[in-house]
Order: sequence, then structure tokens, then C-alpha cells
Amino acid sequence: MKTEISSWLVFRLLLRPAGVFEELSNTRPDPHIVFFRYLIWLAVLPPLFAYIGAANFGWRIGAAEPLYLPGGDLVIISIVYFFVLLFGFVTTALVAQWMAATYGARHSLGIHFALVIIVAAPLVAGSIIHLFPHIFINVIALIPILIWSMYLLYRGLPIVLKISPERGMLMASALIGYLLVAAVSILGISVAMWGRGIGPSIGV
Amino acid sequence: MFSVIWAVLGMTAGVYVAAELVWPTLDFGQQWLSFGRLRTLHTNGVIFGFGVSALMGTAFYSVQRTCHVPLFAPKLAWFCCFAWQICVLLGGISLLAGWNGGKEYAELEWPFDIAITLVWVCFAIVFFGTIARRRIKPIYVSNWFYGALIIVIAMLHIVNSLAIPVTISKSYSIFSGAQDAIVQWWYGHNAVGFLLTGGFLGMMYYFLPKHADRPIWSYRLSIIAFWAFVYSYIWAGPHHLHYNAIPEWVQSLAVVMSLILLAPSWATMINGIMTVSGAWQKLRTDPALKFIVLSLAFYGLATFEGPMMAIKSVNVVSHFTDWTIGHVHSGALGWNALITFGTFYFLIPRLMGTGLYSIRLANIHFWMALAGTMLYILAMWGAGVSQGLLWLSLDEIGELSFSFKDIMASMPPYYLLRFVAGLVFLAGALLMTFNLYMTIKGRRTVQVQPPEVRSHQV
Amino acid sequence: MMNGIGLHKKLEENTGLLIFGILFVSSIGGLVQVLPSIFQESLKTPTVTTRPYSAVQLIGRDIYIRESCSVCHSQQVRPLLAEVKRYGPYTRAGEAVYDRPFLWGSKRTGPDLHRVGGKYSDIWHRLHLINPRDVVRNSIMPAYPWIAQRAANADGDIQLKMRALQKLGHPYTDGEIEAAPGQLEGLMEIDALIAYLQVLGTSRGPGDTP
Repeated sequence: MKTEISSWLVFRLLLRPAGVFEELSNTRPDPHIVFFRYLIWLAVLPPLFAYIGAANFGWRIGAAEPLYLPGGDLVIISIVYFFVLLFGFVTTALVAQWMAATYGARHSLGIHFALVIIVAAPLVAGSIIHLFPHIFINVIALIPILIWSMYLLYRGLPIVLKISPERGMLMASALIGYLLVAAVSILGISVAMWGRGIGPSIGV
Repeated sequence: MFSVIWAVLGMTAGVYVAAELVWPTLDFGQQWLSFGRLRTLHTNGVIFGFGVSALMGTAFYSVQRTCHVPLFAPKLAWFCCFAWQICVLLGGISLLAGWNGGKEYAELEWPFDIAITLVWVCFAIVFFGTIARRRIKPIYVSNWFYGALIIVIAMLHIVNSLAIPVTISKSYSIFSGAQDAIVQWWYGHNAVGFLLTGGFLGMMYYFLPKHADRPIWSYRLSIIAFWAFVYSYIWAGPHHLHYNAIPEWVQSLAVVMSLILLAPSWATMINGIMTVSGAWQKLRTDPALKFIVLSLAFYGLATFEGPMMAIKSVNVVSHFTDWTIGHVHSGALGWNALITFGTFYFLIPRLMGTGLYSIRLANIHFWMALAGTMLYILAMWGAGVSQGLLWLSLDEIGELSFSFKDIMASMPPYYLLRFVAGLVFLAGALLMTFNLYMTIKGRRTVQVQPPEVRSHQV
Repeated sequence: MMNGIGLHKKLEENTGLLIFGILFVSSIGGLVQVLPSIFQESLKTPTVTTRPYSAVQLIGRDIYIRESCSVCHSQQVRPLLAEVKRYGPYTRAGEAVYDRPFLWGSKRTGPDLHRVGGKYSDIWHRLHLINPRDVVRNSIMPAYPWIAQRAANADGDIQLKMRALQKLGHPYTDGEIEAAPGQLEGLMEIDALIAYLQVLGTSRGPGDTP
């Protein structure tokens, strides 16, 4: 079994996913290499775009004029965004690895990192929309991309983790359940932090 | 059957009111098309029409199979079925006419309150009568949940509906103000808890193992989860009243119990997931199982999001916003509707002695239901969090940053997305209606014999 | 744990015990959380300035309920800085004792109305109710033209209503009930609704500025 993933994998994923799935199913990548060579960079791009967009155009949250935050705050927000993404990627891979036993899937952490890359890549590419930080435009652009990601998950998971399509469907559904819970937790935690004074100032 | 009809009618009302939130003149100046009337028709239609009909039907079906006896008082059961439909139909018309008690999910006025109580008593008699006559000693877990549905909803409905009638179409609640609020949400939250959650868990506990052809993963877990569920759900009501004019201790208790409630909810979900994970081969030929699997994922989301939103620091931003609406629909569409659709796809072909008319249509329905639900949730998360944040937002000198008008003026794009989501979901339900109709048309007679009772070891 | 299973067997094998068990376990929460509040004086005592609704206001309130206004408009100002700035003093339980049912609401598609009394003129309300977009350009609120065409006493039940409320403890005098139909003479439903809106939040809790 190969242990190397090609550097162009992420780009090929966006254009010819089927070939990528096949290749990954025969690969046993080293988790450290996958993490440092790919995952970290995937996590860097959305905060970078967000920073550039917010600093140059201001956030448009719908009402009246754009909101310009002080530079220091923007840097902190971008750094937090980066770590939240990274934390999300790693925990999703760990959760998938934990679920693998129930579904008879491959166990190697490296391949689960690769699975995360498959799901995250379209969203990271789409995060270029952060360059224009209008909340509704981001929502409209990212929803179809999210649907594409979910499709890649359902199609790719069984091939990459070497299980039948039916078991893959079950495992993918469980993983989506986890992702939904994680997403809503991020919403909740952010909101709770605002009430504590971290973030936008709200009069509570 | 009726459940499917109410599903379509109730969801059409929902899509219509979603459209009215984007294009408010869609009521054409008519009272009965007005948002206030139609929204009430929507909530009552889907909960009492779609939901209860599905629960009654599946309860009557499964209680016979699990007790190995035919229904106690079958004529009474038929009465329940038709009487309930009449209550919902006439009740719906009364709502359009403006008969309104003013309390959420309890809008039907006192004549209907009495009528549905009577039908509910009949429901209890048939259900528990069948159990009392059973030929298998232990009562199966799905019947505990259906039983809890019947008993607790009766208690909640009777107390919350206590009122002095004034005319045929108007009554005044015996509770007022803050007391009324506490009673209403003791009812309202647990209507969700025992009808939309508990009752449907009864459905899950019967149909999932049947469907997957495997026993429930953990019997012990189901016991603990059931009693913890019945105990803790009741306390969560006041989380609808955080920062409202009710005692602090009631609110705090609601926070704690809402969080504790997460455990039995998820325990039941895990029981379901582990049961079905061993039955993956069936997915190839059985689209209905897909619905049930996904419904468990959304059940997990909704039962996690609920306790999270019950925490005061989250609630301070989420209360009164569209986030709450998103939460409701992640449960109502993602859990309730999906598991009911899966059950219908499983049950109706069996009752008709034939296969499902079109597996392909069912698969298409699955993706439409998933897409509609996801779109709904994301649109409402976006709208809700923005509203909550902006309403509370203060500028550098401590004054309000935005006017209410300006904030809400930016919501219609989200409402448009939500309308599209509803349309997609409804279209999927219509596909199902066609599919089931064609299945029923192709039916053959089915003979049912109560199975032989072999000795059972517990 | 095995003993627990044994105990549960009893519940599982006896319909009556199961029913009783469910009823018992599910009542505990209500008994602890709901019942005390029924007896709590502070939740039942009106504030000094809170009055029961007049006949006209009562008809207006019932129209508000009929049209499901509380589905989009809350009536509960929370004790949060931003809310108090936007709407006025926060809601006290004592202001709601004559509210049957309570109309605190769960959703704000439109603004909170708890303190709307006196903030807008009668004419503004009239124009707004008949067609909201005449006064608020981007409003998505439905229009209510029919309430300007129906008489306030069209149902003829105001005395029945006030007597029922009197039974429930509202301090209406018999004289007030006698005079009620006369007060509704010549008014349309929209006038009653406006009268109700204009009284909202005009009562105060202790220590609030008027």
C-alpha cells in the first residue's frame, strides 16, 4: 500500500473525484504528513480570505452600513477562526476513526484525515467568497457547496474506507449527525461568548 | 392514510405562510388567508393532523403485533380514527374562522378541547385494553412510549385547557399572566416532548427493529432511558420563558433539567443507531430504512440543540428569533417527518400485500427531504443569529446600533430561502403521496394470523 | 443492576402498574415547578397601576387574539440593557394578572408591543392596521382591512365576557358591566383594537419612571 498522497490531490478532487477516491483507497498515508502538508493549509485559507474581506470592505450583516472592526480585533478573530477550523478537522477525523469499528471501516488515522480533506476541500475553495463579507451572499454561495461536500462524503467514504455502499451510507449519516451537532455547538458557544463580552458588544 | 393527507395539507399551509412572509399581500385582503389564521392552521394541521394520525395508526398496528392479540374494542378504534379526523377538520375550519384560545398548540377553543379529550379517552381504552389482553407477558418498550404519550398528553391537555366558556367560540383561561405562562409552557414543551418525541420514539422502537430485522441493541439502556426521559422532560418547560417575568428559580431549574434531558434522548438515539448499524445490507433494497437512519441523525441534532438553546447565555440571543423556528423544523422535518415517511414506506406496502410502487421515487423523495430540511435549517440559523445579535447590538457609546425596522428589512432573503426549502420538502411529500396511492391501488388482500406464542425468556 | 431489571419486570408485566408509574413519574416535575407558582402571591398581585381591561379594550384584546397577533409580536420586555433601551421598562409579572391568556409571545417578526401604549397616535395605528406598508415601507405584516368594517359589538357578547372574567376575579362592578354595550356603540373593531394597543404597558412596576 502506498503511503504518499500526491500534492495535486486537492485540485484533482475538485475536478475528478472518482479517481481520487480510488487512489486513496489504495493508500495508507502517514497522519503527520497529511496534517502538516495539507490540513493546516486548508485551515489557513478561509480565515485569510475573511481577514482580507473584512479589513477592506467591512462586514455587511444586513442592516444599514458595513461594520468595520479595528485591525487588532480582526487579527484575533482570524486566528480564532483558524484554530476552530483546525480543531474541527482533527476532531471530525478522530470521531470518524472512532466510528470505523462499528461499520467495519479502515482504522488508520491518516486515511481519516484524508476523508476530512475530501469533505472540506470544496468548502475551503468556496470560502473565497469571504473576500466579500456580506453574510447573505456567503450563505447563498456556501449552501450549494455544502451540498456538494455532502455528496462527496456519501460517494467517497465507502470507497476510501473500503466498505460496502450501504455501510458507507450509515457511517456517512452518522458523521453528518456529528457535524450538525458540532456546527450548532459552534453557534451556541459563539453566542454565549458574546454575552460574556468576547466578541461583538451586546447589551445584556 | 389520513396522516398523509394532513401532511400534504398542513405542509401546504406552511409553504403558503412562508411565502406570505416574503410577499405579504398573498392574503389578498382575505381573513381566512391571513398569516395569523393560516399559521395556526399549519401548526395544528401538522401536529394534530399529520402527527397524531400517524401515531394513532402506528400505535394501533404495533400494539397488536407486540401483544399478539387483535385490538380490544375494534369498533371503538374505528371511532377514534374517524372522530379524530372530524375534530381536526372542523377544528381547522374553526381556526380559519378566527376561533382562537390564544395559547400556542392549544388554540382550538373549548368545544374542540372537550371533543379531542373524549376521542383521546377512547384511544386510551383501545390501546391499554389491548395491552391488558396480551398473550405475551412483558409489555414491549414501544408500548411504554405510546402509553406515556397517551397518559401525559391527557394530563397536560386537561390542565392547560381549563377555562370558563363564554360563548361557543370563546373561553377565558382560568390561569392568567405569569401563572398562565408557566402552565402553558409546561404543556407546550411537553406536547413536543411526549407527542413529537416520545410518541415517535415508540414508533421507532417498533418499526426500526422490524425493518432492520434485528432486536434492539440494548434492552437495559431502553429501560433507563425511558424512565429518565419521562421524568426529566416535564421540567424543561420554562426554558421558553428565560428572562421573562417568572421566578428565577423556575428558569434555572429548567436549564439544568433541559441539559440532563440530553442524556436519555441521546441514549435512545444510540440504541436506534446501533440497532440499525447491523442491518446495512437492507439499505440496498429498502429506501425506507434510509429515512429512518437519517431521522436519527436529525433527532440527535434537535435534541442537542434544544438543551443548548435552553442555556440562558445562548437563549439571551436566540429567544424570539428565527433560530427557534429553525430548531423546531430541524426536529419536525428532520426527525418527525422523516421517520414517519420511512414508516409509511415500510408499513403501507405490507398492509397492501404488495411491494412499494416505485423504489426510485422513494429514493428521490429521500434526497429532496434531506435537501429541504438542510436548506431550512441553514436559512433559519442565518436569520436567527443575525436577528439576535443585531437586536442586542450596542455601539461604541453604548447606544443601540440598529433600528428594529432596518434589521428585519434584511430578513426576506432568508425567508425566501426558507420558502424554497419548504417547497422542496412539500414536493417530496407529494411524490410520496403519489407513490403510496399507486401502491394502495395495486393491493392484494392480506390475511393476518396472530402468531404462535412460544415460551419467552426475558 | 440485575435487581433493577427484576423490579422493572414487574412494571413491564402489569398494565396498571405501568400506567401508574408513568403518571407518577411525569407529575413530579409539574408538582414541583408549576404548582407553587399557582399559589405564589407575587405572581397574582397586580401592580399599583395595573387595571383590568375596559370593555372596549377587552374587545380589542380578543381581536388581537383572533388574528394571532402574538405569533409575530411579543409582549415581554426582558431585563436586558439593549431591550430596555429599545422598548422601555422591563415586564413585571404584576402587570399581566388580568391577561387571560397571557400574550407574551415566542417570536418577534415585528417589534415587541409590551410598552407600545402611547408611542404612536391613533391615526398612525389606524393607517398601519389597514395597510402596514402605507406607513412602514418594507413591512411584511399582513393588512387587516376587515376590522375597519366590522362593528365592535357585532358578536354581542361583551357582557357575557365581563361576567365570566368577574367570576375569575377581575374587579368589574355590575355598573361597569351594565354600561359596557353602550361604550361599544358606534365603534368598529379597529377602534377597539387601537384602544387595547394604547393601554399596553401604560401600567408600571414599582420604581419605574412613568
